[in-house]
Amino acid sequence: MLKGVKLASVLAVASLALAACGSSGETAESAAPTEAAAPTVKVGMAYDQDGKGDGSFNDAAFAGLSKAQTDLGVEIKEVNSGAGATDAAREELLTLLADGGYNPVIAIGFAYSTALAAVAPKFPGTTFAIVDSVVDSPNVGSLIFAAEQGSYLTGVIAASASKSGHIGFIGGMEIDLIKAFEAGYNEGARSVNADIIIDSKYMGPAGDNTAWNVPEKAKTATDGMIANGADVIYAAAGGSGLGMFQSVKAAGAGYWAIGVDSDQYTVPALAEYKDFILTSMLKRVDVAVYDVIAAVVNGAPLVGIQAFDLSKEGVGYSASNSAVAEYAAAADAAAAKIASGEVVVGTKVE
Amino acid sequence: MTYLKSRRFIASAFTAITMLSITRTITGNGDLTSTVTIAQALVFASPIALAGLAGIWAERAGVINIGLEGMMILGTFGAGWAGWQWGAWAGVLAGIIFGAIGGFLLAVAAVTFGVDQIIAGTALNLLALGTTKFLAILLFTNAPGGGQAQSPPIKGEIPVFTLDSIVVPLTALHEKEIFFVSDLAGLVAGLFYNMSLLTIITLLLFIMTSYLLWKTAFGLRLRSAGENPWAADSLGVKVVQYKYAAVVFSGMLAGLGGAYLSIASTIYRNGNTAGRGYIGLATMIFGDWRPGGTAAGAVMFGYIDTLRLIDTGNQNVKGLILLGSIILFAIGAWMLRSSRRNTAIGFLLLGAVMVGAYFSATSFPPEVAQVAPYITTLLVLATASQNLRPPAADGVPYRKGEDH
Repeated sequence: MLKGVKLASVLAVASLALAACGSSGETAESAAPTEAAAPTVKVGMAYDQDGKGDGSFNDAAFAGLSKAQTDLGVEIKEVNSGAGATDAAREELLTLLADGGYNPVIAIGFAYSTALAAVAPKFPGTTFAIVDSVVDSPNVGSLIFAAEQGSYLTGVIAASASKSGHIGFIGGMEIDLIKAFEAGYNEGARSVNADIIIDSKYMGPAGDNTAWNVPEKAKTATDGMIANGADVIYAAAGGSGLGMFQSVKAAGAGYWAIGVDSDQYTVPALAEYKDFILTSMLKRVDVAVYDVIAAVVNGAPLVGIQAFDLSKEGVGYSASNSAVAEYAAAADAAAAKIASGEVVVGTKVE
Repeated sequence: MTYLKSRRFIASAFTAITMLSITRTITGNGDLTSTVTIAQALVFASPIALAGLAGIWAERAGVINIGLEGMMILGTFGAGWAGWQWGAWAGVLAGIIFGAIGGFLLAVAAVTFGVDQIIAGTALNLLALGTTKFLAILLFTNAPGGGQAQSPPIKGEIPVFTLDSIVVPLTALHEKEIFFVSDLAGLVAGLFYNMSLLTIITLLLFIMTSYLLWKTAFGLRLRSAGENPWAADSLGVKVVQYKYAAVVFSGMLAGLGGAYLSIASTIYRNGNTAGRGYIGLATMIFGDWRPGGTAAGAVMFGYIDTLRLIDTGNQNVKGLILLGSIILFAIGAWMLRSSRRNTAIGFLLLGAVMVGAYFSATSFPPEVAQVAPYITTLLVLATASQNLRPPAADGVPYRKGEDH
């Protein structure tokens, strides 16, 4: 019996160790250019969930980081939180980076809010930044994106492209962050066609982390909208968004999908759906990440709330698919109105 | 016996369709019994059903299988890994093999070493989660179209059948909105619309399990290992071998369930089981450790999920509320007859509250539908617990030759 217990504990410990390997899978990459003269700036980057390769949010952050690496010659270190990481685990990651002399330390995603609020005061000499959340500390830059403004533009495009006067929205987790996408999209669409019908469906309630990883459910929801008459669908649903692309492709010509965060038309993993991706709402996380690093390199760190909106080109829409050219004039006109303050886009769904 | 059983089956099917039909007539919502709804419900139900069936195999042999989720995760990963390189069928095979490995690990810990089965199963879940995440980073990061958290798209497809000669006339009949007839037509048409070969295999596995476990000497011996292994051993049944066979086969079924999921979404993605292994376990308990009830539980989960997702005007959830109240009334009335007065009154009151809610609210939050299957399972557990009968030696470590 004792033997059994021993084996059980060995198994349990081994599995925990393996689980830890998987979740905080650090990928160290230091590529300091040899010709760097001044003391090199070391950038610590903490991705959310499973990190690079999501074809969306984290990849956009990486694009900004690698641009900084080439242009500014900074040294980089990347870590992942892993899906379902606790606040304590996230605190450890951030502390690890700050302790290691990385400055700035950039946390990608609202899930780091609590952890960063605890860690930032302990390292007053380090500049931190967080994407999609506000952390109130003198050495933290809170990078906020006006997703509702970018979504307004995709709403304008969707309503212009729709032949049936019926469009759809697929959301990931039902939280204010994602509802702002829906609100902007609805408002933009109604500015073109006041009577447009807009279906909306979320993949899970707040707190249900599976909402980002259920493409088969997003596919069914999109199927339902298409059966109901919708012909343009916009998804802000992380990995679940794939299901929308599949459903729209199955519906065939005349139906359009609108992507989110990155320019999904150019994402290799989505290549087989690109002919159906009309445009994508761009959240220029790459611009924000680059700006934060450049500011530290120049000795004037960006702290406090940094709003990346249309006027700063922090959000926008992609024109990679030539089919969007037809609607570009309407979208650009709307963008100009928002940038000048003539149109103010709300963040709450009516 | 068989005659009685088939009569009971026809009677319950008849009752279910009547209830659906009443709900559909009152709400005027054709989605409730439409061809597309039923077809999609089967797609969502299948992975859950396979997990539940896997649970039946392990627990009938006396091994509690909390590790279903882990075995399913291994299956999703195996299907993604083999599927993008060698096609969908290779993915199915790899999913089954990976699941079997998970089953074997559980058998070694739980059967050979007599480890507490809950702990062993939980360890397997953690092990599967960590290993697949680690391997995903290792194998998919540089693969074309893959990433740290997801495999490249699975190549090829599993055949999907639609029998137009049945579907077209029956769907037309469904749209005529005739009481009972149209609903039956929609349900039947759903069975012949976009029917995946994997769903058919799932159905066959259920039939095979009913036969193998309850009609053959092999099944009797396997179940005796779960009811009273000491007595079985005294009669010459090789209990340990039966337990191993059952748990490894359980892993294969759960792995197939995982492969089904990956193939349905065309990729492996970290976390795409979304807890379906645990839901499978719940359907097994809901179904009283029997294939028929387990399948019914899985279809309930799949049906409600489908209605919630294809719903565009929040009307389906409303329909479900009404359907729920009709079911509660029916159970309450039946219980009144069998003199379980207090429970019966409870059911009738709950049904009345739901009818009240139905007529006073214009729409319900979709979360109501999301929790409905869990509430139903809890209700079943709370009210039918006297009638539920798990295998007598379920979860009890067995040592050959030990006195009991």
